[in-house]
Amino acid sequence: MKRGLVVFDPAEIPAEEWHGRVAAVQRELEAEGTDVALIYGDVSRSDDIAYLTNLCVYWNEGILAVPAHGDPVFLTKLSPRVHPWMRLISTVTEIRSGRGFAELVAKFLGSADGGTVGLIEADLWPAAVADDIRQALAGWDVRPLGGLVRALRQVPSPAEVALLRHAGTALERAAACATAAGLTDSERIAVAERGLRGDGFLDVLAEVARTADGVASVRITGQYRYLWLHASRVADTGTAAWPGLLRQAIALAVTATVPGATTADLGQAARPVLGQLPAGVTSDVRWVNHADMATSGEYADYPSSLPIPAGSVVVVGIDARFPGGTHATAAETVLALASGPVCLTGQPGTAGIGKPGGAGSGRHAR
Amino acid sequence: MTVNHDGTADEAERSLRLGRVRAAMAAAGLDALLAFAPAWRRENVRYFTDTRVAGTASLVLLTASEADGACAFSTRQADLDAIAARGWVTDAHPLSARSASALAERVGAARPARLGIAHYELLPQLLMSQLARALPRTEIVSATGLMDDVRLVKSDWEIARMRRAASVVDAGWAAFVDALKPGQPEHGIVAAVEAAIKGLGAEDNFMLIASGGDEVRGMTAPTPRVLRAGDMVRTELTPQLDGYWLQICRSAVVGTASDAQRRSFDLFNEAVEAGIAAVHPGVTAHEVARAQNDVFRARGLGEYCTSQYTRVRGHGHGLHIDETPIIEGNETELPENAVFIVHPNTYTPIAGYHVLGDPVLVTRDGAEVLISTERKLFEGAVR
Repeated sequence: MKRGLVVFDPAEIPAEEWHGRVAAVQRELEAEGTDVALIYGDVSRSDDIAYLTNLCVYWNEGILAVPAHGDPVFLTKLSPRVHPWMRLISTVTEIRSGRGFAELVAKFLGSADGGTVGLIEADLWPAAVADDIRQALAGWDVRPLGGLVRALRQVPSPAEVALLRHAGTALERAAACATAAGLTDSERIAVAERGLRGDGFLDVLAEVARTADGVASVRITGQYRYLWLHASRVADTGTAAWPGLLRQAIALAVTATVPGATTADLGQAARPVLGQLPAGVTSDVRWVNHADMATSGEYADYPSSLPIPAGSVVVVGIDARFPGGTHATAAETVLALASGPVCLTGQPGTAGIGKPGGAGSGRHAR
Repeated sequence: MTVNHDGTADEAERSLRLGRVRAAMAAAGLDALLAFAPAWRRENVRYFTDTRVAGTASLVLLTASEADGACAFSTRQADLDAIAARGWVTDAHPLSARSASALAERVGAARPARLGIAHYELLPQLLMSQLARALPRTEIVSATGLMDDVRLVKSDWEIARMRRAASVVDAGWAAFVDALKPGQPEHGIVAAVEAAIKGLGAEDNFMLIASGGDEVRGMTAPTPRVLRAGDMVRTELTPQLDGYWLQICRSAVVGTASDAQRRSFDLFNEAVEAGIAAVHPGVTAHEVARAQNDVFRARGLGEYCTSQYTRVRGHGHGLHIDETPIIEGNETELPENAVFIVHPNTYTPIAGYHVLGDPVLVTRDGAEVLISTERKLFEGAVR
């Protein structure tokens, strides 16, 4: 739940960069002949809106209207009482509240004779909301648009990389504390929450899963400002040998995380070690762009041949599924540079430049 | 901290739920019901599976036929394993949001003439379009209200869980008060509370906060603002344990409360007491809200009960944080074993926004406050 620190600090991302982001979208709109783009977000998935404005949809839903010319306007069902706070923590100057989105959008477009309205990532919009808007906008051409903003978010800017590096250090520290010996599962989660919330994270999703032999997987996903990171580590490994293999495998996969590498390449790098996991264990190696971490990549297409973009920050993870349906995971957040991968969450032993392996599946079974 | 029930009680609860839903489906003329859970509204999938799912999208399909069991789908494999391990739904399948053919085929095989979708209003276009293609002759309607009504009355099994959640609520408030000291940033308070309640097994928490003097008009997510002596710090704190959310609303002063802060507390406490006193089986949300607002009106402060200053006079609790709104004009009846919070939170010029409220269970005779935390104006030590 987004109940951590929400702050807007111009020293972190300069005003020119915020303006540039909106301008980039507006150029796309002009090129596509679209007068206004509408971006839908809810409390679980609103990173496009945050990327353009730093707005935090901390509850419920909202729509950002981006005209081809002019400033974005935020449309919300939340009370006008929260407008001052929203202005304080964002670049948005105009916020409109109402009972329903169709009414809000219609009023925003006003008495214009019509034009073209684009729904960004229309297939992820609630169908009912999109239908209501179409019906309310008689005379307008309401058409689907692709992931214009998501595309812009794929490769972080230098300012964003600085924030991700800072957050990665905090996450590394929290993960180390949360995987210390002698803690209960609840204590591990509590340690992660205290550390990351105290360090100013907006959102923290920490969980512990155990395999039948008692080994814990501590999974921590954190959102710092609007940027996502993730790390998964094994703990309470006892005498089991396989956790060491999982650590080696994620280290190899991280080392292979370079621009152009694919899921198949990461799997190929980890395969020699994953092949030694106990009989019956299956494993998946995958990467997810940090820009898709609000949904863990589950609403995006990640074909095994998709290359990692140069300069992107991705979460590289291995999920090992044991007989009986328990899972163990290892994952790190990695900056994929041409000079070599940089593990932002600081897993030991992963420094250095890796080369992607040959083609192959990311899935392994024993 | 998982509440353990024996298998018999679990099976009875599962059967009770399926029976309630199927009865509601029959009344609504539904042949099938699809409960959709986006990442922020998972209450209905939890109702069917008693499993904490984490996938971006998950669903449960239930047909009217008692011969058919429920069927679950999730975008996350670990959810399917967890659902199967819990055993309330044994038929669980992976879901690809981009190609939901397995879901569409399964719903299509049921050949419903009328399908209700809980959280129809949130179902993404990419899933809706695939369902519509698979069900060209099916009338698809919203079943969101149907499931809200089904979940409104809690079973003894559920109330036992909510009582356990109440102990975490109390611990969360204690941690909140303990964190109040000059120099502490708002987000530092949240960190302390989160650590305390997660250490007790809370799955999640919804929390808003505000600190300062009588200029405070409402609560938000935490800011970097640091506390000063004399600040009143307000929060609504809502841990989730074993699926069930329960809220406490309180305000506390860093140091010694002023006369105005005490007068504000007395006003709000009277409103809470009036709201609770109004509760009995069958009372409407309107009546509970009016009882609270009348306390303000009697003092010439009625304008501060309007939407310009406040939102609701409380709301239902359960597998979702914010269910039936307690507002004037809402004629929803609150039957025995409904759970909701009575909170007249609003701004007044007396001491700014004030937050106070208790979650209550509607009993045969009236209301039972579920938490143990004293209802008073807390004062934190200045350290």
